[in-house]
Parts: sequence; C-alpha cells; structure tokens
Amino acid sequence: MSSLPETKRTTKHPLAGTAMNGADMMVQVLADEGVDTVFGYSGGAILPTFDAIFRHNAARPKTEELRLVVPATEQGAGFMAAGYARSSGRVGVFVVTSGPGATNCVTPIRDCHADSIPVVLICGQVPRPAMGTDAFQEAPVFNIMSACCKHVFLVTDESKIEETVRTAFELARSGRPGPVVIDIPRDVQLSQGVFKGHGTLHLRGYDERLEALGRSVIPEETAKAFFQMLGASERPLVYAGGGVINGDAATELRAFAQRFGIPVVTTLLGIGAMDTTNDLSLHMLGMHGTAFANYAVEDCDFLFAVGSRFDDRVAGKVKEFAPGAKIAHLDVDASEIGKVKGVDWAWVGDAKRGLAQLSRAGKSFRRDFSRWQKHVSDLRRAHPLDFNRGSDLVQPEETIAVLNEITRGEAIVTTGVGQHQMWAAQYLDFVKPRSFLTSGSMGTMGFGLPAAIGAQLANPGKLVVDIDGDGSIRMNLGELETLTTYDIPVKVLLLNNYGDGMVRQWQDLFYTSRYSGSDKSLHKKDFVRACEADGFGFSRRVTTRAELRGALEAFVGYEGPAFLEVVVDQSAHVYPMIGPGMGYKDMITGKWIKPRAHKDVVVDPNAGF
Amino acid sequence: MRHIISVLVENEFGVLAKISGLFSGRGFNIESLCVAESPDPTISRITLVTSGDDRVLEQITRHLNKLVNVIRVCDFEDARHVERELVLVKVASTERTRGEVASVASIFRGKIIDVAEGSMVVEVTGDGDKIDAFIDLLRPFGLLEVVRTGIVAMFRGAAVLSPVTRDERPQVAVEPGHEGRVVREGSESDFV
Repeated sequence: MSSLPETKRTTKHPLAGTAMNGADMMVQVLADEGVDTVFGYSGGAILPTFDAIFRHNAARPKTEELRLVVPATEQGAGFMAAGYARSSGRVGVFVVTSGPGATNCVTPIRDCHADSIPVVLICGQVPRPAMGTDAFQEAPVFNIMSACCKHVFLVTDESKIEETVRTAFELARSGRPGPVVIDIPRDVQLSQGVFKGHGTLHLRGYDERLEALGRSVIPEETAKAFFQMLGASERPLVYAGGGVINGDAATELRAFAQRFGIPVVTTLLGIGAMDTTNDLSLHMLGMHGTAFANYAVEDCDFLFAVGSRFDDRVAGKVKEFAPGAKIAHLDVDASEIGKVKGVDWAWVGDAKRGLAQLSRAGKSFRRDFSRWQKHVSDLRRAHPLDFNRGSDLVQPEETIAVLNEITRGEAIVTTGVGQHQMWAAQYLDFVKPRSFLTSGSMGTMGFGLPAAIGAQLANPGKLVVDIDGDGSIRMNLGELETLTTYDIPVKVLLLNNYGDGMVRQWQDLFYTSRYSGSDKSLHKKDFVRACEADGFGFSRRVTTRAELRGALEAFVGYEGPAFLEVVVDQSAHVYPMIGPGMGYKDMITGKWIKPRAHKDVVVDPNAGF
Repeated sequence: MRHIISVLVENEFGVLAKISGLFSGRGFNIESLCVAESPDPTISRITLVTSGDDRVLEQITRHLNKLVNVIRVCDFEDARHVERELVLVKVASTERTRGEVASVASIFRGKIIDVAEGSMVVEVTGDGDKIDAFIDLLRPFGLLEVVRTGIVAMFRGAAVLSPVTRDERPQVAVEPGHEGRVVREGSESDFV
C-alpha cells in the first residue's frame, strides 16, 4: 500500500534525542508517516495532542503543515478519514477526545473494519489514575473498540508511544487492511521523554504471518491445477471484490481478464477494479446487480473469486450461487476461504501478487472463449438496465444516467446507503479504481457527505460528487457546513424522494406497503435554503425533467462547494432485485428491464415472503 | 465435537477478551479455560475447551490466527496428544470415613493435602473422564466444594507448540487437495 516508509534506521531522525512530550511524539510520527491531513474534534482528554498539532504547524511553513479539519461530529471525522483512505490508499487519521468523542467513532471504526479500510484513530483517555472510576467523559474504549477493529492499543507505558503509533500505521495498511485504535490517557500524552525517531513494536505472530504472506509464491502445481480448471471450462467468469481495490491490484486484474479473455463481474466494493466501460466488464452482481451480470453468474462454469467473500448480498442462497461452476478463490485472508461457499481451488495471498503470478504461470495457456464472450455481450445487449422513461416525474435513475454522461466515469463518487446508492452503483461508469466510495458491508447511512470531504482533501483538483438520499444526508447534515468552512469543492447531489426509499421498497414488496417509519413527506426541511444558510454559493432544486441536464451541468461545473436537490419519483424501485435469501434464478427484473424469456417472474406484492 | 485449542499470545492485557470474544460472538461456550505465562514471560499460553460444529471451529481457528497478538494456534482435535486437568475436592469426612476417602484417593493417585475436623481436601490430576469418575466416587461422602483447573494439553511425541517452530499442521488454507485446507461442498449453509 502506498505510504511513506518508516524512516530508515540507518539515517538518524533529525529530531532523535530531542526531549518532548508524548503528544509531540505522536504528532511527529504522523508527520513521518506522510500524513498531511488529520480529521479531529477536540476535548479535554485529547487537548495535549491538539496543542501539539498547533505547535507543530506553527513551527513549519504552510506546505509542511498537518492540516487539521474539524467536523461537526466525531462520526464525521471517521468517515472523512475513511473517504481519504478509500480514495487514496493512504492511511486516514482521525483524532478525538475520550468518552463521547470515542464512542461516536464506533460506527466509522466498525464500518472501516467491515470494508477493510486502513485508518488510525487516536482517542484521548482520562488520566491513568482516573481510569475505571467512571470519571468525567470516560468510556471503556479498549473493550468497546476491540470488538470492532483490527487492533486496539491502550498506551499505558510512556516509553512506547512512538513505537505504538508507527505500529498502528503498519497494522492498518498491511495484510488485510483495517482500522487501528490508539487509546492514550491524557497523562501519557503529557509525559516527558526523549524522541528516538525509530522503532516499532515487535508482534511475533503477526509479523511472521505477514512475512510469509509476502513471500508466498503460487507453486507450479497449484498454478497448473488452476489452468487445468480454466482449460476445462467453457464459460469462465471473474468475480472481483474490494480486495482488488484495497490490494492495488486493478492493473493486474485488468491484464489478467484481457490476457485470458474472461468477463468480470464485481461486487459493490469492487466497482472500479475493472474499467466499467470495458467490453469484458459486466458491472455489479448480486442483490441489485445488473441482470446481465447475474445471468452470467448463473451461466458460468468456472468462477474465479478474487478479493471477494461470497457476502449474503451476493450469495444470499449459497447452494444456488453459481450452481454450475467450479470455484477458485484468491484472497489475502485465509479465514475467507471456504467460509461461505466450498471451493475447488484456493490460494491465500494478496490479489496483486497472486494475479501477477497466475498470469505469468499461464503464459502458454491458450483457449478461445469467444463464444462465451459473445454470449455475455448478447446478455448485456438484451437485458440492459432500464427505468420508467415515460413518466413526467424526474426518475432517480435518469438523474444518475445524465450525471454519468457529464462525468464520463472520471469522477470520485461517494454515496449514502439505500436506493440512491444502488442506482449510483448501477448507472455510473468508473474508469479507475478508488473512485466509487460507499459503505458496503455495514451499510451506514450518512457515510456519503463526510467521505466526500475526505476524498476531496486527498484528491485536490479532482471532481468529487456525493450522491445522497434525503434519509442518509440527514444523518450527517452538520458536515454541509464543514464543506463551506474549508471551501472544499465537493458536489452534493441529493435525490429526494421524501422517505427512506429502500425501506419503502421492502415494505412495498414484503409488508403490503405499510410504510412504518419510512415516510418523510411531512418533513419540513428546505435543503436548498439550509445550504444557502451554510454558505453554499450554488444551491438549487430541480423538480422537472426539462431542467435536469442543464442543472447538472451547471452544478458539476461550479468551482466551489455545490448543492443540487433533485426531487424524484417516490415510486421508483431498484431493479433487478434478488430477494433476501433467494437464488439468482428468482431475480425480479421489474417493469422496465427485460428478463430472460423463460423467467417471467411476476411479483405479487401480497406474497409476503 | 469437543475441541481443545491452545493459543500462544503476547502476554498483554486485552488478549484474553479478544479471544473469548471470537467464541461468544458465534454463540460458542468455552467449557474450560486455562491461562498462564510460558517460559518466556512475554508469551502466555491459553488452553481452552469448546464444543461445536467442526466447520465453525475451523473458522474460529483461522480468526484466532488473524489476531494481532496471537503467535500460534493449534487445535488438538485428531492429533495425538496428552491432556491433564487438576481438581481439588473438599469432601465431608468423619473419623470413620477418613480412611475410605484416603483409599479412593490413592487408587486415583491423588493426594490428601488438608485434613480438618469434618473435612478433607484431596488433589487429583488426570484427563476429564478420570476426574469425573473420581468426583462421582466421592459424592456419597458429601462433596463440600469442587474446583477444577480446566484442561491443558500437549502433542505426543516430538511435536511442540512453540513460538519459534511452526505447528506441524498450519491452519492457513493454501492449496487444493490438502486435507483440511479446502472446504468442500455440502457443508455450506444459507444465509437468512
């Protein structure tokens, strides 16, 4: 993963031997790690560290500063760090105070763990003598976080501060990436010591496993077995997940697919691993995947899972998932192999090296898959995504399709969670990896806006669009003001259907349209005026199809933070849909997407399954 | 199926919570748990006994292997091993029964470690079945208190669970065709 390496031990750190306090040491290690932005909210127990950041910056020219971005809530800071990490591959950093500051971070930490995102959270803690006494703003961070993150450190030994912070970065980005929490009592931050400028904690088991992983080479026989399976197949398919993106393996995946002529479906988190405009890309599979991707999964006879994990949104009915296929699985995490679905071939290793090794091993492999390629092209042509084109109301899918014509797969897009998230996943193209940022596993509403802020700060000059829903955006609405405070030119596109659309869709399908708690038609919020009040120079509402394209063009072209609300058809449902626990053969394609001839599934809203 | 799992961990606080969390998070009960420092004081050895579906146990073992503070994991299931547990039994006794208790203890190679007016404390070591049998035999005398340490285990022969040499049966799934490494069809269960 790209990040500055730990300062070489052969060259002495310029500050080695300098007396400083624990907070100064932490901040210095952040700077050494190449961190340029810290998302943080202050408070009593973390004040020494905030003061250290202030002094660090005061002593340096602007270009070497650790930029401090203050969110509306700590959860916002967490998702900003996540957006920063997801879009750049660098470790995102957020710093918060004890008690409520820390507990507000549980959601982003769990979200990062579930999606394998490298972040480091530094939490202030009450001073050591006060710990365990129900002190003011005290929370058992170690216990709470240890169930939600890759690793948590409670720093009780002031001689290990710098080693702990360096190790936290190593842990966050290595192996299967994930969040690491450092809980550091206030008195440890204030303890005086001498900065060493080098050193990490020795983690025998982890270091050894990591080294073994880095050394691992697919044995000749194992590679041969893979190509025997591929050679025996007529309809191979790659099923790529977030591991390809996290492992910086998109280049290798694309080369692999091209070299052997194998079509690729991706998970929600794998979107962008393939260039979605490529002929071999079938886009997303699963519960709301494209019909042609899901048909290809049904039809394939060899499925190669790379950095993906047969999640229940992909393989809801495990036994019926890819029923005719032999399965091969490449993953960095041994515990994912065989967790859900039995496999015929497996290799534990990172996607980048694994794919490169397989490509090399298959140098002389020749097999013509052109009939299968034609089959999936036909599927794509015959069963494209589609929506209600005859309505007077603005359709949410149309909004995203028009945006796609403007951004042409080049924008970084974040989303909330729900219908808009699925439409964004379906209708947008992504040319590069790390450009579709979404809360996949946890499905955290409110992710989009703060994640867009983090992504924009990691990618200055790039177009960053937050596609949000009216339910999701409300969850972290305070961050609208953060955009204008720091003049971050994120474009916020709100699809307003006056309710929690995905919940309503399930209520339509499974609860005979009893909209318990999901209707927001009585909500009075005027988002456009709210954004004006927050200082947005561009804040508009679109209610008719005629104004849609012009408004989107002006919105995307605006130089500063911009907000566009599109009032969309409330009745739109996300299709295709494979109901929870259903097999791919039970996919519902809805009114506008043509299903395969022999599978005309009629939805009975009264079926109540 | 009963499994005895031994884990070598960095001797730091919080490790035990994280490990027991892996079991409780899947609704698995830990039947016994034994933790103590190893000869290297920076390393602790945890031995736990649990029962459950083999496939889920394999997942747990792999997850144990992912924990940052875990150095080595082994499941003694199917491996040739020895296991021992120690029990202290405080049993009611009179002058009349004292001799009988002592003879039961000696059959089990136990030791009388305390005698008082009306009670005795007996120590016995063995595998779980032996301990169970011993307790059953003392029951008629009147069990006042029973405390068991939980099981500890070792491989038979030269194989060792050591932080330096790897377990002979690595838990990492790497290649097909190797027993225990590739999970086969038929064992998978649907979500919902």
